Amino acid sequence: MTTFEDLKSQWKNQPQQDIPSDGSESILKKLSGIKRKQIITNVILGATVLILIVFFTYIEAYNSGLISFALSLMIGSLLVRIGIEYFSIKKLKAIDITLSASVFSKNMVSYYKKRIRIHYIATPIIILAYCIGFVLMLPSFEKHLSSGFYTYIVFSSIIILVVMVFFIGKQIKKELSILKEISN
Amino acid sequence: MKSLDKQFKEVYEANYTKVNRLCLGYTNGDAMLSKDLTQDVFIKVWQHLDSFRNESNITTWIYRIAVNTCLLELRKKKPVRLSNHLNHIEASTENQNNDKELEINKLYHCIGRLKPENKSIILLELEGVPQKEIAEITGLSHETIRVRIYRIKKELTKCVRK
Repeated sequence: MTTFEDLKSQWKNQPQQDIPSDGSESILKKLSGIKRKQIITNVILGATVLILIVFFTYIEAYNSGLISFALSLMIGSLLVRIGIEYFSIKKLKAIDITLSASVFSKNMVSYYKKRIRIHYIATPIIILAYCIGFVLMLPSFEKHLSSGFYTYIVFSSIIILVVMVFFIGKQIKKELSILKEISN
Repeated sequence: MKSLDKQFKEVYEANYTKVNRLCLGYTNGDAMLSKDLTQDVFIKVWQHLDSFRNESNITTWIYRIAVNTCLLELRKKKPVRLSNHLNHIEASTENQNNDKELEINKLYHCIGRLKPENKSIILLELEGVPQKEIAEITGLSHETIRVRIYRIKKELTKCVRK
């Protein structure tokens, strides 16, 4: 008859994987890779903001109230979205993994609840603001661009919107399922 | 900085097997996934090593990181199939008899059926971690741990006997 002590001995005597010979070195290498990725992300975010500002001044958007408003809506919603993601990642990294499992779990639940609130409140507002800005820009696009390019912009923007909504929806679904699992 | 590298290497070598075995318990014995998880655990160990204050045993501290990492990461990754464990056993222990393989496989299966919190508790108990430290790792009271371990032991042995 199997007792718990038998199980304990089976557990301890199970075949073990060898300690990777370059294990600690490979972890240090992976860590420098993570740091490099963070730097690249920051550079890309910075460059995006810079390009948007250059574009804004290049087309002298500030001379027309409506274009200025429309572009501000588009750029603003994009910046808010980038900002939310940036601070969310920062907040997630700040959650202390060395705390006990119950405290860590509580902190994670609170983090994901906030994320879900962002998805349900902020994300639709951001997408709506971006769409309004885009629609307000359409007469200006039609006036200044060839009809072929104008049609291309209209159709590609619809495709981009659908793809964006699909990916955001997928992310929400994933985070909801994580929240459900952690809350159990 | 050099001494931190050295300290990490020592900590890594002293605790790799324990952490890997714990991760195997969370992954139903999936060797590849548990190797990845073990690596994630040690990345976090390195990131927090300078904040370790010697208030608890370093192994207890590492177990805390391992439990949190395994529980969180497994929710993000795809579910683990128990059959993967058979490959791990076949690859690593050609001379082991089939009975032993089946026994450990059954143990993984029964651990896999437990609730996440109970899984953590019993994996630490199987590792021989004292109950006081299990309480510290999970954040539950010593008394709760004592009662839970008694119940899970019964549940687990009953499941394995089936």
